[in-house]
Amino acid sequence: MAWFSLILAGLFEAFGVTMMNQLRVSRNWQSVLLLILGFGSSLLLLGYSLRFLPMGTAYAIWTGMGVVGGTVIGMLRYGESKDWKRMAFIGMVLGAAVGLKLIT
Amino acid sequence: MNRTWLRVLVAAFLEVIWVIGLAHSYDFRTWTGTVIALIISNYLMITAGQILPAGTVYAVFVDLGTAGTVIAEILFFEEPFQWTKILLIAILLTGVTGLKLVTDNEAREGAES
Repeated sequence: MAWFSLILAGLFEAFGVTMMNQLRVSRNWQSVLLLILGFGSSLLLLGYSLRFLPMGTAYAIWTGMGVVGGTVIGMLRYGESKDWKRMAFIGMVLGAAVGLKLIT
Repeated sequence: MNRTWLRVLVAAFLEVIWVIGLAHSYDFRTWTGTVIALIISNYLMITAGQILPAGTVYAVFVDLGTAGTVIAEILFFEEPFQWTKILLIAILLTGVTGLKLVTDNEAREGAES
């Protein structure tokens, strides 16, 4: 459960960041609401997983998932570049996250 | 410029504080401190990102925050020191930093062309 909620926290974080970028383009209350919901869920789930997992590991994976999630959403929905460097960095984050899960 | 980087440094320090708080808070006082640290940390990071390249600010902030969190758990919370763990976290941060810096560079090139 702790790992599941940590991954979910990272995805909500990515969603929150996406809504933040959305707000820069157009200001509307739906995006504000979704932003609060995204970051709020992210923090609650992170807080839950921090009660069971080592702090450094959980925090690193949370930010990693947030950044990778945000990047992937940017690539799929907003046509951001998909060049090999970005793919390699995404691979590093995901590979390291799996490794951390295995040694914890 | 330097004052803004100092702001990033303080933001990262407060980030470590709220992460410790989320993991260990147990009463009203500690939870209040955690929430205050969280709000100030994010405020400082976001305002610094409006002055300096946002991706770079975020990367430095997260790198410092993670390093601080790992050091704090080893020093204060009796987490064992593990080389494999440090190495994996370093790889993860390299990926995060790389993604953020590549994005900043693309934004700059886009602005020039």
